[in-house]
Amino acid sequence: MSTKHAKSATLFIRNREQEQWHNETLWFVRQKRDNMAMRIPEWEDLRELAGKIKMHTVSRLDFYLEMFSSEAERNGITVHWAKDAREHNEIVYSILEKHQVKKLVKSKSMLTEECLLNPYLIEKGIEVVESDLGERILQLMGEHPSHIVMPAIHKKREEVGKLFEEKMDSEKGNSDPTYLTHTARRYLRREFLTADAAMTGANFGVAQTGEVVVCTNEGNADMGTSLCKLHIVSMGIEKIVPDLKSLGVFTRLLARSATGQPSTTYTSHYRKPKEGGEMHIVIVDNGRSEIKGDSEHVQTLKCIRCGACMNTCPVYRRSGGYSYTYFIPGPVGINLGMLKCPGKYYDNVSACSLCYSCNNVCPVKIDLADQIYRWRQNLDSLRKADRTKKLMSKGMKFLFTRPALYRTVLKMAPAINYLPRIFVYNKLNAWGYGRELPRFAGESFTSMWKKGKIRKTNKQ
Amino acid sequence: MSSKNDIINNIRRHVSTEYDMPEIRVEAVKFDNPVAEFLEISRSVGGDAVMLKEGEDINTFIRALYPKAVTVATNLSGITIPSFNPDETDDPHSLDGVELAIVKGEFGVAENGCVWIPQNVKQKALYFIAENLVIVLDKNRIVNNMHEAYERIAASDYGFGVYISGPSKTADIEQALVIGAHGAKSVMIILY
Ligand code: SF4
Repeated sequence: MSTKHAKSATLFIRNREQEQWHNETLWFVRQKRDNMAMRIPEWEDLRELAGKIKMHTVSRLDFYLEMFSSEAERNGITVHWAKDAREHNEIVYSILEKHQVKKLVKSKSMLTEECLLNPYLIEKGIEVVESDLGERILQLMGEHPSHIVMPAIHKKREEVGKLFEEKMDSEKGNSDPTYLTHTARRYLRREFLTADAAMTGANFGVAQTGEVVVCTNEGNADMGTSLCKLHIVSMGIEKIVPDLKSLGVFTRLLARSATGQPSTTYTSHYRKPKEGGEMHIVIVDNGRSEIKGDSEHVQTLKCIRCGACMNTCPVYRRSGGYSYTYFIPGPVGINLGMLKCPGKYYDNVSACSLCYSCNNVCPVKIDLADQIYRWRQNLDSLRKADRTKKLMSKGMKFLFTRPALYRTVLKMAPAINYLPRIFVYNKLNAWGYGRELPRFAGESFTSMWKKGKIRKTNKQ
Repeated sequence: MSSKNDIINNIRRHVSTEYDMPEIRVEAVKFDNPVAEFLEISRSVGGDAVMLKEGEDINTFIRALYPKAVTVATNLSGITIPSFNPDETDDPHSLDGVELAIVKGEFGVAENGCVWIPQNVKQKALYFIAENLVIVLDKNRIVNNMHEAYERIAASDYGFGVYISGPSKTADIEQALVIGAHGAKSVMIILY
């Protein structure tokens, strides 16, 4: 019995070249992150501090949310509250309808992905234009992000070139990234100039001042919001930080962890609506407040969506974002999916080698791998544990607790080297898929030790 | 109003361990020469930064950098090269096509090359829509890190403010870095 993750991963790795490129490219991003971290002697203190600030904020979330909303309102921003995705979408639509918006230009927001806002609005007759280059590519292809920071990381330049030939009238056969990016720049410039409203997500909401902070490299959030009179922000309740002083800690960590840059190109602070314009913030719960009461998983609420845990994850790097069944992949996605609906997303908990690399890079020190381990321990109660693996585990336990039997079996192990493949790699051995058994040594270490074949060498 | 109450009540209902707010006192990186660090980092993030020499005229300097720019927008009184005042327009869309915008930065951050610009033009679109952006910055206003930066703006009252570090960029196609995604294709910071 193979999980959905394992099955999709099999598809992904069929294209060896692509798999290798994906793996190496993300690892390179991880290395850039390391270089950035090493330039800052206080890096580990910052992570510790960021984790603590978030934990504090989460534990007093009611207090900070109220502070945030009253400050924002004092600044002339209209604040809305949405319990779930449906309410969020309805609120957004009602604002757009009131302003007779025909075209909405959006900058990247995983929350609107979560709420499935785009199809909802399109159905209502609103033209929705994603303006982040990666997001736009995927929107035109009818696909969704495979990474939360680098949404189109799974696409090759040739595919983008082909798409642009068709949609943006670009030169035939030209797949040069600079050429393609500048083509998109011209096309999207027209969209910006003709949009009626702009929508952004929020990287941070500052309770003390009621402002929203958005970080981009492309400047797309700012192009949209500075041209349109109407700006709508979608913000999850966990995006709150107490004050500007704390914000300083997070802005130092975010870009360095995400892409290995010292800062994003633009870190925009929206505090008031623009002159003659309107600004709305939709604060969204959609299951988040439930997580607060779950002591084993409350830490996921600290996440600042930097994507570092994906870049470092050996399973993510080699299986791609689409192999996970939840829309957020990687270590944090495994946990968020389980918190959303364990019965639906349990397949993903197998996509982890428990190497703990994610725990070690997460800028807010979320115990990602520990949580995944805990989900696995509980799979049985969900009746989702893999039956064949369980059977084998039972067998192993039987063996490991009976030393004499274990030694006998071990003596016989080399025989496996000569067994026909069908006896070793069969349906009963779930671990046999995609893995090669090492050759068993002719003699075990214990037996060599006993015969005195192994001696301490005196190396000075 | 009721959804707000529901959300707030649900948060309250889930009483969790209360964690104290940690004291934010970071022994943060400081530079012997923040200006030199700022210049170096600005260049490494795809932008450019220079220190105006003693007696060097800023107008001559900018003209030499952008000899061909015709549509130049600035509201700075010290800029005498032919330009128009963007504050006279009520419609940000009309700024499309500006080849060069010259604006003032409030302070720079040595650790990451960011320049803080609280909205100081009528249409903030100018910062993003111009093909090229020149930011003029007082060399005595370079702080070491983001902690110092936020300390500086703590008491200020801006409706919009942005840290800009380098030109607009993307790596969304195969992680190949391309300058000039949607915003300025070049950013030059002139310290004086
Ligand atoms: S869990 Fe940590 S590393 Fe992963 S996206 Fe969130 S903040 Fe980044």
